[in-house]
Amino acid sequence: MLNYFLKRLLGLLPTLLIVAVLVFFFVHMLPGDPARLAAGQDADEATIQLVRQELGLDKPLPEQFLNFFMHMVQGDFGTSMRTRRPVLVEISERFMPTLLLTVTSMVWSVIFGMGIGIMSAVYRNKWPDRLGMTLAVSGISFPAFALGMLLMQIFSVNLGWLPTVGADSWRHYILPSLTLGAAVAAVMARFTRASFVEVVQEDFVRTARAKGLNERVVVLKHCLRNALIPVITMMGLQFGFLLGGSIVVESVFNWPGLGRLLVDAVTMRDYPVIQTLVLLFSLEFILINLVVDMLYGFINPTIRYK
Amino acid sequence: MKKNASIHRTAQALLALAAIAASGSVLAAGNAVLAIHQAPETLDPYNTNTTLTTAVTKSFYEGLFGFDKDMKVQNVLAESYTVSKDGLVYTFTLRKGVKFHDGTDFNAEAAKATLDRVMDPANRLLRANQFNRVAKVEAVNPQTLRITLKEPFGPFINALAHASAAMISPTALKKWGNKDIAFHPVGTGPFEFVEWKQTDAIVGKKFAGYWKQGYPKIDQVSWKPVPENSTRAAMLQTGEADFVFTLPYEQVATLEKSDKVEVVSAPSIIQRFLTFNMLQKPFDNPKVREAIGYAINKEALAKVAFNGYAFAAQGFVPQGVEYAVKMQPIPYNVQKAKELLKEAGYPNGFESTLWSGYNNTTSQKTIQFLQQQLAQVGIKVSLEALEPGKRAELVDSWPDPKTAKVRLYYIGWSSSTGEADWAMRPLFATESWAPKLANYAFYSNPIVDESIAKALVSTDSAERATLYKNAQEQLAKDLPRIPLVTEKVLYAHSKRLSGVYVMPDGNINSSEIALK
Repeated sequence: MLNYFLKRLLGLLPTLLIVAVLVFFFVHMLPGDPARLAAGQDADEATIQLVRQELGLDKPLPEQFLNFFMHMVQGDFGTSMRTRRPVLVEISERFMPTLLLTVTSMVWSVIFGMGIGIMSAVYRNKWPDRLGMTLAVSGISFPAFALGMLLMQIFSVNLGWLPTVGADSWRHYILPSLTLGAAVAAVMARFTRASFVEVVQEDFVRTARAKGLNERVVVLKHCLRNALIPVITMMGLQFGFLLGGSIVVESVFNWPGLGRLLVDAVTMRDYPVIQTLVLLFSLEFILINLVVDMLYGFINPTIRYK
Repeated sequence: MKKNASIHRTAQALLALAAIAASGSVLAAGNAVLAIHQAPETLDPYNTNTTLTTAVTKSFYEGLFGFDKDMKVQNVLAESYTVSKDGLVYTFTLRKGVKFHDGTDFNAEAAKATLDRVMDPANRLLRANQFNRVAKVEAVNPQTLRITLKEPFGPFINALAHASAAMISPTALKKWGNKDIAFHPVGTGPFEFVEWKQTDAIVGKKFAGYWKQGYPKIDQVSWKPVPENSTRAAMLQTGEADFVFTLPYEQVATLEKSDKVEVVSAPSIIQRFLTFNMLQKPFDNPKVREAIGYAINKEALAKVAFNGYAFAAQGFVPQGVEYAVKMQPIPYNVQKAKELLKEAGYPNGFESTLWSGYNNTTSQKTIQFLQQQLAQVGIKVSLEALEPGKRAELVDSWPDPKTAKVRLYYIGWSSSTGEADWAMRPLFATESWAPKLANYAFYSNPIVDESIAKALVSTDSAERATLYKNAQEQLAKDLPRIPLVTEKVLYAHSKRLSGVYVMPDGNINSSEIALK
């Protein structure tokens, strides 16, 4: 198991390398001149030339790539073209708010989503199922943007209970995590239900019931464990997406997270920031996938790693 | 009965909770939060071309001159000045007893250090071109500064009043260096820099040694960038912000209902144009340009796309800019437009493209409106609202005017120095053809070029007025751009806040900021 884990970790390097190469060239292929954008509307040509030199964009592309690559290997991801601050500082001060928001959203949405999913499967086609699935479909179809504005209008503006923007205290986390988690909870509910409904029809469930087990034990011990594999996969994917920072939720709640940073960076063609963020997101996805794979083994001991 | 009591208790508990929650968001007295729509990219006033960024730096920095809320030039750190007859030598008497936040004295040496810094090409500052006519700066004595120009430059005082021409403490400049001064602003302004949390706010506290007695009237100011429109409006309603700019049109009705908030709208010098690529058929034909001028109902445009917070443009340079000539908007006359097109040889119209330099909602509405108006006279245009990167690629930095793909282009301008040169030269002079500056029409007319160039070096106000009038009248004949509308600035503040104004160019004047 440990061997397998280490091998996978090593396998990470070539993947990241390919991502780094691809993202460098894709980013430089985007239309738009960062020097022009950084210089501003009033700038004349001489000023733009000045900025271009300053940003090192006057050098040929292969040289720029070599520069970027050599620095990256040494852990230097460059300076943001927009704010002139080190990219690592820009990213690190936004990483924790995004991570914490992702974790809080995931926790409540997984608990609720799985709860609703199990209820729906157990009471299939009865009223708890209908209610649960109605909630789930609304959760998926209600746009996060509208939900965020609605929650803010009710709880911040009208009732005055919760703050609108910022990330300083736990109260700041309530509305954004509700907004962010709503769609995840809905997806989790539908996935759990689908997976559960299949498992409930398996022979071993009948056997479990036949040997006189309590229905609760049948559902929570025998069924849940077997139904969990696709659910865990989905959870990993959702977690990865949320870690990238939700652009919509972060802009509505002015959240100091990575999603807004990415949007700003793309708008201003801030090459170093875009490159580093994409690398970070790739790394996160690879790690989450690895963790998910390891979890399979714990859930179903018949799965073996070689 | 019992049930009622328990509901009552719950309600009480909720109210208590609400009170606790609310108390957290109530601001400490004397602390004003100003929410703006863009994050400043730097706090170095010499290294930005963004108007809103200088609105923030003005809390920490002051220049020799400044603009009041109506963009009239005022003395700030200079008490008076004289100009030599040839318009080349400016002598300034500086204010006495002014100190920088770090205790350094403000004097002619300090002013010289600041101006020398921006003029040194090695420092690579974006505002260097604003001072490229300066030959040398001399400190005659602590209270007297002499600036010699290479050639006479009419709007020189305006250039010094621009928010970017701020005085930086020479001690701090030495301490932090040319780059890092951007993160540690030290000026003579009303507020001392406290911190810049990139993800949250820029905070300044009252500067005890401020030269202007009794100012500033509040203890702390926080500039909070909040890009999402509706969120800014919500913050104003909850009291988390005292001032918001910009304000989206659709929020006005809600905010006006609130008794804690005041919505303000005032004329701006932000003008919106439709430009033609005059190197390409059919826009090289003056009749076609005139026809398009007649085909557009500018009043309706102001109502439809700008919700009435704009009005039909009164000429090429908006009122409020010095030497602007007020003109009647080109009337809306479909019949006349059709006749002109027929005379030009396009009785059935033609097809073309219309780009917008912005991709916000208002601009999308505007180009859709223009498309529909042009269709009435047979001109079919396909639309594209360019996002910033694409705009930079296709318009702002397209190297060769002859191959530029721009045809009809919707774009705006505001003269950041509040004077006519910067309202006309970048837009209409031959030297300003894109990609150099913003002459996207590739318009070239000797009368206009000459008038603008002469007015720039003239120091005689009457002569400048005549020259600028000639240029503007020539523009009205040639129509390289159709002036569409002049926007109004729209902003809101809480009733407890006063003294913060959005200026006609979209900058913010907060020198009188006060809280009740």
